[in-house]
Amino acid sequence: MPLLSVADLRVGFATQRGLLRAVDGVSFDLAEGQTLGIVGESGSGKSVTAKTLMNLLPSYARVDGSITFDGRDVRAMASEGERHFWGVEMTMVFQDPMTSLNPVKKVGEQIAESLRVHLKRSRKEARDEAVDLLQQVGIPEPKKRLTQYPHELSGGLRQRVVIAMSLACSPRLLIADEPTTALDVTVQKHILDLLDELREERGMAMILITHDLGVVKGRADKIMVMYAGRTMEQADTTTLFSEMHHPYTEALLETIPRIDMASHARLVPIPGSPPDAVDLGPGCPFAQRCRYCSEACIPDRPDLKQLGHGHACACHTPVGTGSGTAAHMANQNSGVTPAGLDMGMFSPVGEEA
Amino acid sequence: MAGSGTVQLRDSDDIVLRVENLVMEFPAGLHQVVHAVSDVSFDVRRGETLGIVGESGCGKSTTARALVQLPMPTSGTVLLDPGDAGEVELTDLDGEDLRCVRPRIQMIFQDPISSLNPRRRVKDIVGEGLAIWRDEHPDVDVAARVDEVLGAVGLDPVVAGCRRPHEFSGGQCQRISIARALAIDPEILICDEPVSALDVSVQAQILNILEEMKERFGLTLVFISHDLSVVRNVSDRVVVMYLGKVCEIGDADTLFSEPSHPYTRVLLASAPEPSAVVDASESAIGDEIPSPIDPPSGCRFRTRCPRATEICASDEPVMREMGSDHFVACHFPGSP
Repeated sequence: MPLLSVADLRVGFATQRGLLRAVDGVSFDLAEGQTLGIVGESGSGKSVTAKTLMNLLPSYARVDGSITFDGRDVRAMASEGERHFWGVEMTMVFQDPMTSLNPVKKVGEQIAESLRVHLKRSRKEARDEAVDLLQQVGIPEPKKRLTQYPHELSGGLRQRVVIAMSLACSPRLLIADEPTTALDVTVQKHILDLLDELREERGMAMILITHDLGVVKGRADKIMVMYAGRTMEQADTTTLFSEMHHPYTEALLETIPRIDMASHARLVPIPGSPPDAVDLGPGCPFAQRCRYCSEACIPDRPDLKQLGHGHACACHTPVGTGSGTAAHMANQNSGVTPAGLDMGMFSPVGEEA
Repeated sequence: MAGSGTVQLRDSDDIVLRVENLVMEFPAGLHQVVHAVSDVSFDVRRGETLGIVGESGCGKSTTARALVQLPMPTSGTVLLDPGDAGEVELTDLDGEDLRCVRPRIQMIFQDPISSLNPRRRVKDIVGEGLAIWRDEHPDVDVAARVDEVLGAVGLDPVVAGCRRPHEFSGGQCQRISIARALAIDPEILICDEPVSALDVSVQAQILNILEEMKERFGLTLVFISHDLSVVRNVSDRVVVMYLGKVCEIGDADTLFSEPSHPYTRVLLASAPEPSAVVDASESAIGDEIPSPIDPPSGCRFRTRCPRATEICASDEPVMREMGSDHFVACHFPGSP
């Protein structure tokens, strides 16, 4: 049985213009000790998914679907006012370590707080455990750090403190939402490696949320690619990189420059911007920006089709299949996709389509 | 670190911008001084893209701002067209003289939304430079030029021109900033982290536009970023900075294929997908960058450097040549 099982999760927010569907029918399973990478650009619903799991959504959010953690119904626990689940069994590390720490409380107190509240440790026990935790997350001179305030620490150290806090009650699932985006380049890899080591040592499951497929490539067991609140593609990491099927996954991978690329290598942009989540229309949400768009994509939203071995893809014309190649060829020949996207966007500099 | 010296300056007649011994210091109270940029020298050839890379606090943005005299550097020189009859020494100018040179250097900033005036319409924002310089260029049709640059960055001038910045996304606002910078036909465009605040999918659009604009308007770019892969993508020549000093400077291909300074190697090994030319274990350095108020003696990188010895604390390494157009300031350069 998986540790976490999410089925057909839907999250909406009522706005003046109508219902904003932030998450629209997402399902996934996560086994004990595994890492799931959730990838997508801003507004794709990654963070809302995480906040739903953590019961951090505002009360006006409309949530539907089921979340099961180790056989327990997470949403029922939320409505019953369960206090010792979040922060104990399921914890979260946020993007910006400055805003997720209390600026007027000493680091030690902040780490000890959850130990005292949830595990009823005495002041002294909690303090000793806090020193231990700081050591585990690789902070030098942990005793001295306990009495410091967040502003006295660098960004990397602050994020380590946040990780120490999230580990205090030995969680079984850690959700890391873009844990390195706000950090300096030299520190990012250290934090990701640290999370990975701690996960292995403790046998925790982890959900790693990022916009960069490169970050999850070597770290996640499974990857879910989200767009406009929907799952576009889902697979084991190795399968995803070897048999990528969704045009959006391919686009995400091609759009990010890599160090090993030559200077002035033309990047393949994802044209346009993400769709309006209030007014998504009937078709595929990615159709307007897709090179592989076919006539079928505009009126008809593709379902998430299982391709076997846990690989699933929601596309009428997947990359690397006959229909995908045919659609791409047809678009290239006509110079414009059925959604009205100029294929010239994808041609090299100076070469007009 | 990071060192001083000027051997990396090239003796060529198509140099458009030369920075020599640039120093930027800020008072920090209690008679303390922040050494933001200390003795930095580099030059940029016409039509070249110079990338400046380093982690936060290394002085890359301060360097960029010093190029346009915002504010005036503490010491050092910034020369436009060095060696030409029309050579201009920016650091000697002030007031009206400086104002007259500024149209030649334009800048775009990290946060596209806060760098545009929210109350003004896009065509007024983009046309402001032209409106100011109308007396000098009476034959320029402002409206036509605004339409031209807006079209060049991929916005529809008719639709976009009458709107205000809040009606646009971050990527579109960055396009407007680029159009504004290009409107008065600058020679040099300084881009200070132009894609850091943008979404990944939009980042590639903006990088491609910069590349197209460089070609179309014959620009010279100074491109600042903390993201090595972005710098790698846009640059012909790269400067690696650490705590106000230049570590390594050279042709982009050479620098990324044979990184010589330990700090450059750390940066390369720290990328999410590390470069193949370095070992992943080379990313292991301490988290803390020392304070620029009291920088380490000798080489400024020595406190985090795996190769540091006594000489690094006593002697500051001077720039030396590693190969053709490849310079490094380190006592122990090369691969380990």
